[in-house]
Amino acid sequence: MNVTVHWEKSWKDEFMTRIERDGPWSNWELYELALESAKALTIPQFDGLQAPKHLPHITILPHQYDVARQVVEQMNGKAILADEVGLGKTIEAGLILKEYMIRGLVKKALILVPASLVSQWVQELNEKFFIPAVAQRKSYVWEQCDVVVSSIDTAKKQPHRDIIYEQTYDIVIIDEAHKLKNNKTKNYEFVQGLKKKFCLLLTATPIQNRVEEIFHLVSLLKPGHLGNAEQFQKRYGRLRTLHDDAHLKELIRKVMIRHRRHDTGIEWTKRHVETIFIDFSEAERNVYETIRQSKPHFSDTALSHITLLREICSSKEALFCTLKSMMERHPGIETTIGALLQKMNEITEHTKAKKALELIQTINDKVIVFTEYRATQLYLQWFFKQHGISSVPFRGGFKRSKKDWMKELFQHRAQVLIATEAGGEGINLQFCNHVINYDLPWNPMRLEQRIGRVHRLGQTKDVHIYNFVVRNTVEEHVFALLYEKIRLFERVVGELDDILMKLQSPTFSNHLERMIAQSKSEGELKIKMQNFVEILANTEERTHAAR
Amino acid sequence: MQQDDIQSFLERFFIATHCPILERSNGHIRVQLTAEMDKQLMNRPFYWHYVERIGAVGEPLQLSLITKRSIHEKGEYIHFGSPRLHQIFSIAKMNGRFVRLYEQVFERSVALHPWLHTNILLSYECDRKQDRLLSLGIHLISGTIIESFYDVLKEKQWGVTVPDYCFTISPLIKPMSGLARLEAFVERLIVSETHEWADEARARWEEDLALLQHFYEGVEGKQEEYENEKEALRQRYEPRIHISVINGGLFYLQAK
Repeated sequence: MNVTVHWEKSWKDEFMTRIERDGPWSNWELYELALESAKALTIPQFDGLQAPKHLPHITILPHQYDVARQVVEQMNGKAILADEVGLGKTIEAGLILKEYMIRGLVKKALILVPASLVSQWVQELNEKFFIPAVAQRKSYVWEQCDVVVSSIDTAKKQPHRDIIYEQTYDIVIIDEAHKLKNNKTKNYEFVQGLKKKFCLLLTATPIQNRVEEIFHLVSLLKPGHLGNAEQFQKRYGRLRTLHDDAHLKELIRKVMIRHRRHDTGIEWTKRHVETIFIDFSEAERNVYETIRQSKPHFSDTALSHITLLREICSSKEALFCTLKSMMERHPGIETTIGALLQKMNEITEHTKAKKALELIQTINDKVIVFTEYRATQLYLQWFFKQHGISSVPFRGGFKRSKKDWMKELFQHRAQVLIATEAGGEGINLQFCNHVINYDLPWNPMRLEQRIGRVHRLGQTKDVHIYNFVVRNTVEEHVFALLYEKIRLFERVVGELDDILMKLQSPTFSNHLERMIAQSKSEGELKIKMQNFVEILANTEERTHAAR
Repeated sequence: MQQDDIQSFLERFFIATHCPILERSNGHIRVQLTAEMDKQLMNRPFYWHYVERIGAVGEPLQLSLITKRSIHEKGEYIHFGSPRLHQIFSIAKMNGRFVRLYEQVFERSVALHPWLHTNILLSYECDRKQDRLLSLGIHLISGTIIESFYDVLKEKQWGVTVPDYCFTISPLIKPMSGLARLEAFVERLIVSETHEWADEARARWEEDLALLQHFYEGVEGKQEEYENEKEALRQRYEPRIHISVINGGLFYLQAK
């Protein structure tokens, strides 16, 4: 026979003792109740899910049910859960964990999530799934608790690392797993060294820039599934079109599940996207042009030059922060900066901020304002206050309790929530349906994450997105062109993944930055951008044709 | 167990554990716990420790349990997944593991025959799992084994003492050898089955193992990592059957 049989002897031994001692014996009613309890807990079949009947208070959506079922039945408990933002990957992971725990196949679980999400995970697992998860606070927790939630940054440090490596985990779950796309990082190495039977990697953006990223993710999950590194590079390294990677797609499908909004069968509310163009005031234009023309002065800091241009499109406060640190690092450019600072003093008010204020007043409802810069965040909070609009700040670095408090304040007391980029992850703000992108991020994936905060399950109204773009600036050249032409906002993330993957551009944002840094004139930049957009569009066409 | 079955299960549990039911309606019960049940259910060891230290009599708590959402009473809502119900399941399992029972017959001079009965749980495990329950009885005189013996038992009335004017026949087969015969029976049963689930698990295992070997082929300095992964595959896929006894005991039955 091809099966090992293991008898548990504890009942027999105890029975023997009771016979010798003539008891104690239970009665018939207790005997029946014991059997009924055991029956209620038996797993009637290999197939199907037991978890839903344990969780009658959760509405499990059809696609979430399918994911859990597919992972357990077909993927043998190792999968990348890559649904789009807002489709409930946490629910899916919780469902799978619960299923395995009910089946007795998982006892010890390690859940690695960004530090800011640890308490949220613990809370959800306990309250929604009745899984006694514990946040790692003391080092003995690793050994004594069965279900532990921690950040990778804590876990990989000593003394934790050694203790964790001694544990054998039945399952390891990693949230925001796209952060493990690079196999050279300490985090990657750490996760690779974990002893894990089952494994779930959660990410809305499995491929952000390069096709190798998926190789590294899959190899973490199931080493060898995509061959070894050398073969993968040889075979898929120079992928250009979909036709070449049909095989690869098929392989990936075996370890990754990705649902997009439109295939969940759920009625999604609409997205209305509006680009709002803003003209600089004279003072603002003056500063912008000064930076632009002083490019040679920042020649050894090409990236900073674009950063400065982007910053002044946000606020002089944002610009000031960078200038200050530049001055400390490169004392040689003090004169240039001095002149700039003087011009900055002439800016009394930001046109963009005024526009935002006006818009918020017209909307007359809850609004989330996203900015890339903390200085802008503070400035806007002050500015809105001056005009009688209450706002709360939100940052990724906030502790969970503070995040919850800010969310609470926003929901019940304040009209506006001003969030920085890092604040985008892991909060759900479905009660709000207006988003202002005060400035736009380099990486289009991040936009989806921003919008995903409000355009997710539970949103009952149409979502309005306003993109602020300052005319005749780097914002217009890059973002307006890019976002408008390829209608990035209306598109589903998955498609963009496909397009970017096909392009094989080294990294998307690097590519943009280089294009801008190396252009000698505005005209040249415009042409380059147009070419780039055209390539994107062509690739897209091919993608569609191949479908 | 459906939501509608939960209330009657709870009521039977509290009656069997001698906790008076103070209020009951369709969808709600309030019970007075005994000290013993309070200790097992309410998780307040410090209180009981304190009470016992000062030699006082503890005051057990009451529990108010709701089994229908529509009920507007204060209390815990109990559904199939609630931790409270699972706590009760495990207490019930602990408290009803061993019995010695006598059929309650109302005629005179009836001989009661000894049987050994066990409810056995078989768990078929690999990366997936399925359980199976066996209810086996062995006649400790003749050695006859009967499957689904519980179905026979549950039709009868049971008591913890021999009914008046009846007598029991001593086992010819000792309970321990009876148990050994039941174990052998289970093992024969397992051997006689085709275990496709196990073949499939082994196939998945081999497939993954081949990929793994390929991945680490010619890679230097990764031996430990490779061994870890390999061991993880074994733990995940290796098919095994775990057998445990849920409960069991001696039953004295009227011969039919």
